[in-house]
Amino acid sequence: MPAASPDGPRTRRLSPRLTAAIGVSLFVSLTACSAASDDGTSGGAGGGSTDKLVVWDWKSGDPTAKAYIDAARADFAAKHPDVEVEFVAQPFDNYYTLLGTAIEAESGPDVVLFNGGAQLRDRVDALAPLDDLLGDNQERLTGWEAFQADGATYAVPITLQGMPFYYNKAVYEEAGLDPETPPATYAELEAACTAIVETGKDCFSLGNKEGIGIEFHLSAYGPGVMSTEQYDAWLAGERDWASPEVKQIFQMWVDQSEAGWFNDGANSTAKFMDEYTKFQGGESGNVIGLISDVAHWKSFDEFLGDDLGVFKPPVVTDQGSSVLPVEGGIGYAVTEWTADPELAYDLVDSLSSTEALTAFYAEAGAIASDTSIDTSDSGIDTVGDIVSWLPESKPLLHSALSADTLELMHRLSQQLLEGSTTVDDALQQLAAADK
Amino acid sequence: MTGSRLSRLGAPDIDESSVSGAPDAPARAHRRPDAPGPGTGPVRRRRWTEDKVMPFVLVAPAVLIVVLLRLVPLVMGANFSLTGDGDANGAFIGLDNYRELFGDEVFRTALKNVGLLLLALPVAVAVPGLLATFLFMKVPGHRLYRSVYFFPVVLSPVIIGAIFNVVLSFDGPANQLIGALGLGPVDWLGDSSVAMFTVIGVHIWATFGMALVIFMAGFATVDQSLLDAARSDGANLRQTVWHVIIPELSQTIQFVFVTTMIGMLTGMFGLLYIMTAGGPGGATYLPELYIWVQQGQMNRPALASAASMVLFALMIIVGFAQLRLIRRATKES
Amino acid sequence: MPTRGPARWVIAIPMALLAVATLYPLLFTLNVSQKTRREYVLDRFGLADGLHLDNVVDAWQTSDLGTYTLNSTIVTVGSVAALLLFGSMAGFAFSQLQFRGSKTLFLLILSALLIPFQVIMVPFFRVLGEMGLLDTHPGLILAYTAQFLPFTVFLMTSYYSRIPREIVEAARVDGASTLGIYRRLMLPLGRPALLSVGILNGLFCWNDVLISLLTMQSQGNRTLMVGVTALRGQYSDNIPLFASGVVIAALPVLVVYLFFQKQITEGVTAGSTKG
Repeated sequence: MPAASPDGPRTRRLSPRLTAAIGVSLFVSLTACSAASDDGTSGGAGGGSTDKLVVWDWKSGDPTAKAYIDAARADFAAKHPDVEVEFVAQPFDNYYTLLGTAIEAESGPDVVLFNGGAQLRDRVDALAPLDDLLGDNQERLTGWEAFQADGATYAVPITLQGMPFYYNKAVYEEAGLDPETPPATYAELEAACTAIVETGKDCFSLGNKEGIGIEFHLSAYGPGVMSTEQYDAWLAGERDWASPEVKQIFQMWVDQSEAGWFNDGANSTAKFMDEYTKFQGGESGNVIGLISDVAHWKSFDEFLGDDLGVFKPPVVTDQGSSVLPVEGGIGYAVTEWTADPELAYDLVDSLSSTEALTAFYAEAGAIASDTSIDTSDSGIDTVGDIVSWLPESKPLLHSALSADTLELMHRLSQQLLEGSTTVDDALQQLAAADK
Repeated sequence: MTGSRLSRLGAPDIDESSVSGAPDAPARAHRRPDAPGPGTGPVRRRRWTEDKVMPFVLVAPAVLIVVLLRLVPLVMGANFSLTGDGDANGAFIGLDNYRELFGDEVFRTALKNVGLLLLALPVAVAVPGLLATFLFMKVPGHRLYRSVYFFPVVLSPVIIGAIFNVVLSFDGPANQLIGALGLGPVDWLGDSSVAMFTVIGVHIWATFGMALVIFMAGFATVDQSLLDAARSDGANLRQTVWHVIIPELSQTIQFVFVTTMIGMLTGMFGLLYIMTAGGPGGATYLPELYIWVQQGQMNRPALASAASMVLFALMIIVGFAQLRLIRRATKES
Repeated sequence: MPTRGPARWVIAIPMALLAVATLYPLLFTLNVSQKTRREYVLDRFGLADGLHLDNVVDAWQTSDLGTYTLNSTIVTVGSVAALLLFGSMAGFAFSQLQFRGSKTLFLLILSALLIPFQVIMVPFFRVLGEMGLLDTHPGLILAYTAQFLPFTVFLMTSYYSRIPREIVEAARVDGASTLGIYRRLMLPLGRPALLSVGILNGLFCWNDVLISLLTMQSQGNRTLMVGVTALRGQYSDNIPLFASGVVIAALPVLVVYLFFQKQITEGVTAGSTKG
């Protein structure tokens, strides 16, 4: 071994450089001390400044959102030419964990993008109530319910999100079904599925790797099963997990799986985007999709073109109705620690301006919260259908649930597909968790 | 992803007496750590001379960094774990978080899976050990294999997870391959009785190259004359491995065991997160993932801190128990 | 060791299969990166029908991977420098010098090996924030140094302990100072270990996602691996684009490995030779 050899590097007489060494070794502690005593603003991402606003989202990095962001920036720059705006696109996978770290440290972005429902409601402590600032936006925009908690509004919706059934007309035709009359009742859907499964294709593509499949199932079949009173009670927080209707919805999940409606390996298929990749690739007849963001009319149209059709939730029981479930999709909130909430709100206002949202609709294919936007020139038939269903729509059932109830439901849905738990047992656990 | 990487670093050979004044320090940590070691000698009253000050100056940056960014946060976390979340934010609630933790079925599954990891540990050590033996025997193509086997080590777990997601999907290449051999498709990541083994398998695939290199380094120290003697005595391969190689490599084996364990307990987060996210049905949760989910999606940082403390305690217990067990085992053989 | 007989060939077959299994996922990714989005949707597992370098160009442009590469380089170089400096200093002191509390301090550093990052994640960021280092390059360098230092110290200590004490003592008799011994003797003698530990630490810093994601919060400070992960987006269905990002990110790492594999393995081997 070289180290042991006596003729290694010569040791000459060396002058001690104690001072230099101490300098190096104290480098860390000095950095630490000087930095700790520095109470100034930290780094570029820190919020709380009045000449700079930081926005966190998971959209602005997307090329299709560029026109939207540009329009919003221009609108805001006209109002506040001196204020710099930085958009930070975070990976969605880690978005709420990152946000949690920022909330813990009470520093970070000034304006934050949120999904409507549980993710927002669990974090309202860190957000500024916006009710006094909304003005006429309250009239112009829709979808507020998903961003309200305890009577206060915490974010401004920019898109609507809903769950229609999309179908592939070519697959229907192949199965001997009329491609122009999609199922209106559950019995018709069952007949269609039987026919489609016989052709060797899947009736529905399903990705339940994250357990989100059950959210779509609950919200998309709910209107067809529940009575109006029951539906409204559920949203208001009076949820009867033991009711026959709720049981029926979960039983349908199991029955559909057992009847072979879904692709194999649903529990290992990612909903985004493997499930939709399968549907777009023509491997299945139907899919429960979205109306904004992705997995929607615009992205399906790219692959299926004129073969793409859409239908509202089928009526399952006598009391159920065929109503599209829709609510506020994503919206911008203002953090509680921002230096000037009104300034931050002005940016939110720009982000929800008609002009910006029109760009968002046209480029990204989102159904905007601004209902005055004209959608008749899209050239895609399905969007016309969806927009015509909006006035009668109802909020989504799963968004009323808390994050931990949803998490439990995700796990149970996978166990139900595997057959390792029963519907009754699952509903009991959910009832216990949903307090 | 992070802590995991430590396991992949290789120290060839733990020689505990290497630490001056700290003979077998790691093993006897339960002893009073400040008990004077034999190397220290009687304390002479002298002035602050260069050779007395310099050692402290040299270790100061490392000690400061570790204390400030590892131990201080650890104590803060322990403190935090005794407070509440949400409405009870910051309030002292005693051991309630720990009670909730052990009442949570998902956390219990996570602990059970830790047990599974410990069972898989011998495999994760034996595979590279065996491969290193073959490479040492210079099987045809050994140079190439040696390079290729190390390949996955240089890739980020996030990338490995994303690749295997596609390769192991139900209609993916892995099932096509075993289908061609006449075996039924396996839902590698979607069957709760299989998924944990799949992820462990991928973890081993991703890390065995590092252990292999460490073993190869260990082989370089094996006394050639012992091997020659074994050969002239007519010992077969199994006997040679058992009676010559394993005792000779006991230090290396210990080292690989400990680093592999650390890697498994702290380094599977990246893979899990991408490949199963804890599913199906919560079957593939590990404590790290549980901490991450409680901290993020569930917005329960204090509960996450309590889970962190349990994981840390587990690491210490397993780490020391293992060191003792292995020491005894390798000495006996 | 026995190297005789046809048994070697029997063993070589599974070993060759394993080599294929090791390479396959990489080739698979390369194949996917060369598909168009449409090609991927219609046929996920088939061979790409030609080269599509557009994906690589798109991945590079849409997410500013150039800036991210620069950030990764700065942070990796900085962290490795700090790790090698502090690691070799401490390793030298723990292995060759005698001082009170050396055992305690060594154990203190080693104990950090048993702390998984998730365990201290939240308070760690509070401390970093207090120091005003969140979202800065020095902050991430410090975070990586803290993460990989315990093992670096351990490795360097174990490597230096193989150098006979007599060498240090001889140097002292010649009148060398401690610092002089460190600079003129220990650094040159430690080269093989420093090289291999440096390369490995470099790989780990380059590949990290979690620490970087949490520390570097603004877009312009992202590191490459985080940028590539972000290509998956919330709902991205452009898998070929992601695969291209993966190829871009893995390429420098693979090149470094192919160039330095001898050093990586030999550095470790050199350290294990009994003196």
